[in-house]
Amino acid sequence: MRRDLPNPGWGPLSALPGNPLMWVLILSEMLVFTAFFALYAGQRALDPALFNESQRQLDTVLGGLNTLVLLTSGLFVAFAVEAISAKRIQRSRQWLGAAILLGLLFCLIKVFEYTSKFAAGITPETNAFFGFYYGLTAFHFAHVVFGLALLGLVSWRTTTENVETAAAFWHMVDLIWILLYPLIYLMR
Amino acid sequence: MRALPGTRRLLITWGVLMALTLVSMFSARLDQTTDWQALPLWSATMILMATGFKAHRVLMVYLNLRAATPAWKGVFIALTLLTLTLIAAGYLAGRFHLVG
Repeated sequence: MRRDLPNPGWGPLSALPGNPLMWVLILSEMLVFTAFFALYAGQRALDPALFNESQRQLDTVLGGLNTLVLLTSGLFVAFAVEAISAKRIQRSRQWLGAAILLGLLFCLIKVFEYTSKFAAGITPETNAFFGFYYGLTAFHFAHVVFGLALLGLVSWRTTTENVETAAAFWHMVDLIWILLYPLIYLMR
Repeated sequence: MRALPGTRRLLITWGVLMALTLVSMFSARLDQTTDWQALPLWSATMILMATGFKAHRVLMVYLNLRAATPAWKGVFIALTLLTLTLIAAGYLAGRFHLVG
């Protein structure tokens, strides 16, 4: 058993940082999102005109802004990992706090987007595209909220393993949005 | 896995991610507010390539998989490529009316 690995004794998962069970969750979540993306792609192929027309009603700039916000919060979380690895707990908490603020901004922008869509009478029942739009983005939104709770928790219990575990989840949330944004907003 | 990316690499990666996001937005021709058309193929290709590179950077630098075993790198890259392939396939099938 190699002792220099982050999690010796965890078999194939021993080379990954943070709690190995988080990586099981990350992989399974990525597979679930991939399946949903495949479903979306299939439906789009069946009715591209409807999807194109519906995409026109999305605010692509707000979606892009949210991408920039989430990627910057990911940077701050990575800084928090660097800080805790150097035993700088206060600095790590400051970076986590900054990341949480940006995560909240992401939520605020998304809620604004949802409310403006609802105000325009666009709901998940409007058509297949908006069913996917609300379903996929709300599922991702739920992950953002869970990620924010995790970041809050590790800001309180700030250890290297805890911060690495929450960081891994938060970067997965980043990664999913990176794939979701072009799929829903841009590719037409 | 202990070797962290370091501040400089993280900042460069962040800059690249920001720039590629802007490239994607411009490739999608967001300026076309009045004349909303299907993207030219080069735009769609550019968006997918930028997305793939961004995903790769997040995996390797933010998630720090560059320091993981080749098997783990392979698993995550393969999953990302699969996702991008599915997105591209659905897009092309719709564009060229290959189904339905």
